[in-house]
Amino acid sequence: MTSDTTRNHVSRITNHKSQMADTAQNFAPVPPPADRIELKISSDPANLAPTRHALEQWCRSRGFDSAAADDVGLCLTEALANVMRHAYGGRTDRPIVITAQCPDQTLIVRVRDWGNGIDPESVPPARSDPLEPGGVGMICLRKLMDSVTFTPQPDGMLLTMTRRRDRQTRQT
Amino acid sequence: MSELRSGTDLVPDARQEGDTVIATVRGEIDLHNSPQLRDALLTVLLKPQPRKIVLNLADVPFMDSSAIAVLVETLQRLRKQGGKLYLTNLQPRVRGLLEIAKLDSIFKLVADEQAAMQDERDS
Repeated sequence: MTSDTTRNHVSRITNHKSQMADTAQNFAPVPPPADRIELKISSDPANLAPTRHALEQWCRSRGFDSAAADDVGLCLTEALANVMRHAYGGRTDRPIVITAQCPDQTLIVRVRDWGNGIDPESVPPARSDPLEPGGVGMICLRKLMDSVTFTPQPDGMLLTMTRRRDRQTRQT
Repeated sequence: MSELRSGTDLVPDARQEGDTVIATVRGEIDLHNSPQLRDALLTVLLKPQPRKIVLNLADVPFMDSSAIAVLVETLQRLRKQGGKLYLTNLQPRVRGLLEIAKLDSIFKLVADEQAAMQDERDS
């Protein structure tokens, strides 16, 4: 899949105000950053990088420094990869919707899928040997976000991750 | 010295020097392209049965856990033949992920290729 095709698979919807500003971009000043971002993708791993880039860019536009945006981008990648591999069992044509907003001092990222609905946290971590990398994605979510909540839906799963704006980066 | 062809843009340069294989890895690596990295490392770089593999990660700004898993698998294979895996020139983001996963101690993390080669001579 070409990068252009990949980009086409990532549809970006901003709030109404921003959409209006985009339409009039030749006649108006640069619009303020959207206060909410929504990304609709298919479960193709080719969409991981452009989706991460879009969220990281949006985070920076909302005042998060690069290190914080990087952390959020990594967590999104791990969450999406988990959906693609496990919730959808490797199928590449299933929908995933990502939303992010930062209404005050806390960033809220939601990932909705329509997969098998299994809570990844209900699966015991396989990792007892340092040479066994299983569960690294979940470790990242736990260490880099302030809260990680899997909420089963009648037809899938909703993951909600939050991160305070004033959180220090890379708490290892 | 002999050049090795990895078959992927992710590993644009690879060469064998004695019992050491030195390779450059380039690009952002996630679930989409980590299988290509796996093929290059396990099929091409391990084939000469080196004692050491040195991966220059200067041009790798991002890795996810699937890429880390490839590195770990490479290390496991290498250890079975008594070898070591060196990672050089790590960007902060990649180093940070290794630290978060507590995997930074299982690899040989060194500043650059020269340091890796020096370490080889000392060991």
